[in-house]
Amino acid sequence: MCDDGGVTSPANERLTRPLKRRAPNAAWPRALVGAAMLMVAFDLASSRFDWFRPGPWVVPLLAYIVGTALVWSPLDSASEEDALRPEVVVGLFSRDHWARVLIGIGLAFFSMWWFARWEFTDQPVVRIVMVPPALIVAFALLLGPWLLRLVRQVRVERSERIREFERAEIAAHLHDSVLQTLTLIRKHSDEPAAVAKLARAQERDLRTYLYQDRRTEAESVATALAAAINSVEDAHAVAIDAVSVGDAPTDKRLRAAVAAAREAASNAAKHGHAPISVYAEVSGDRYEIFVRDSGPGFNPKRIPTDRLGIRESIMGRVERHGGFAAVTSKRGESTEVHISVPRGAENGRVAR
Amino acid sequence: MSGRVRVVVVDDHDVIRVGVKQSLGEDIEVVGEGRDVETAIEAIAQAGPDVVILDVHLPGGMGGGALDVLDACLKKPDPPRFLALSVSDAAEDVVAVVRAGARGYVTKSISGPELTDAVKRVALGDAVFSPRLAGFVLDAFGASAGDVAVVDEDLDKLTAREQEVMRLIARGYSYREVGGKLFISIKTVETHVSAVLRKLQLSSRHELAHWAAQRRIV
Repeated sequence: MCDDGGVTSPANERLTRPLKRRAPNAAWPRALVGAAMLMVAFDLASSRFDWFRPGPWVVPLLAYIVGTALVWSPLDSASEEDALRPEVVVGLFSRDHWARVLIGIGLAFFSMWWFARWEFTDQPVVRIVMVPPALIVAFALLLGPWLLRLVRQVRVERSERIREFERAEIAAHLHDSVLQTLTLIRKHSDEPAAVAKLARAQERDLRTYLYQDRRTEAESVATALAAAINSVEDAHAVAIDAVSVGDAPTDKRLRAAVAAAREAASNAAKHGHAPISVYAEVSGDRYEIFVRDSGPGFNPKRIPTDRLGIRESIMGRVERHGGFAAVTSKRGESTEVHISVPRGAENGRVAR
Repeated sequence: MSGRVRVVVVDDHDVIRVGVKQSLGEDIEVVGEGRDVETAIEAIAQAGPDVVILDVHLPGGMGGGALDVLDACLKKPDPPRFLALSVSDAAEDVVAVVRAGARGYVTKSISGPELTDAVKRVALGDAVFSPRLAGFVLDAFGASAGDVAVVDEDLDKLTAREQEVMRLIARGYSYREVGGKLFISIKTVETHVSAVLRKLQLSSRHELAHWAAQRRIV
């Protein structure tokens, strides 16, 4: 039991494991032996001179106290600072600590065993009632701190693991998105249009990541519209300010309206000036989208009949679903496309 | 309030502060800067500006960012007017600063002339609504569900006229264009917008109250 740490031969230790941290010379085994010898001496002297005859319970009680102290003693070094770093604790338990715990448990168990057999009264009923609770309390006192510590450590470990998981998640996302984009930007550093487009796409991506609103395009027409507008932004390298009011599941008609709005926004991006804004509103019976640019404008009546963009992709598309689209524009002023489709089941017959 | 408008620029990023200062027009004078809640409050107290351009997310203080600054400055007599500036489009951020007392909200993608214009407008006591803020207001006041106030004093609803104005702003119209479209003067448009701002700040409509409660700014 005393062969740990300080007793290994220094020469041997130096040769084999030069980096081993030298454990401080353990003083507790000697203190233990000394205390035991003092007690024996006291006992002998007191019986010789008949000073003071305590009951037979003194020795087991002292043994229990010493044992508990031994079991608790490794805790103070381990619990305070290292409770936050669970990986340290395992290595911290040197053989010295284990020896203390084992001896302590041995002493405590001995005294408990003695107490269980002690006939301090003649009535067996009293003993039966008294002994088990007393043993349970003694046992809890002995190992309670260890249990508490274990619970706390598990909690620390868990929060640590959650934090670690989050960190890894964020790191993975940043790597897949921002770092990749930065690499691409460096590669395209002499093409301003490409850089602007990449930066814009990345901005959008980060924004959705930060202000997460994860509804699918089928669930939310606002999401569907945002996705359509984003693809126009990407295709034409422009910034479009899209605002949605209200939301609804994307049914066939709303999908048609979104597709028309996409076409209108793409026209605005191609022919119009910034800023381009898209405003969509879901009201009780209609879904309306306004796509507006800031010039230069044109005369909608003078579009050649063979140009299919406005006539087919915007107007035709929503008219087939019972809606309408109107283009308001004048040469030299802003252009606005107003798309409107009905909502609700009562218009179902009109739609098809 | 004629002549040059005196502003304090508050943002925790040096680059943004420099950019904002450069993009402001000739007749706007930057008299102070702040990089966190404490320096902002100090700079505002020292310079006594007309307008504070305030980033929504700021370090320091009680952790509330712009809300802490607004809280500290609006309690003092003769406070400056605040224009919130942010990259965030999140509705909570927008509504939180406006309800805490900012007279306008613009995103950082705003152009220089537009920002100059917004600062001057705020200096004159008007409200500045970006399309996004207008869209949010319509959403929060249930405009799309058809909630219309019959009397102006109903703080939980917008009047039909106010809804029209908000809709046009959300569609990207400038105040001048809104006036042209509705056949009213710019002054009238501004009156409507200020009325909406007042409702936004004072209303106890539950959507608004919910956001306010979340940010502990009731």
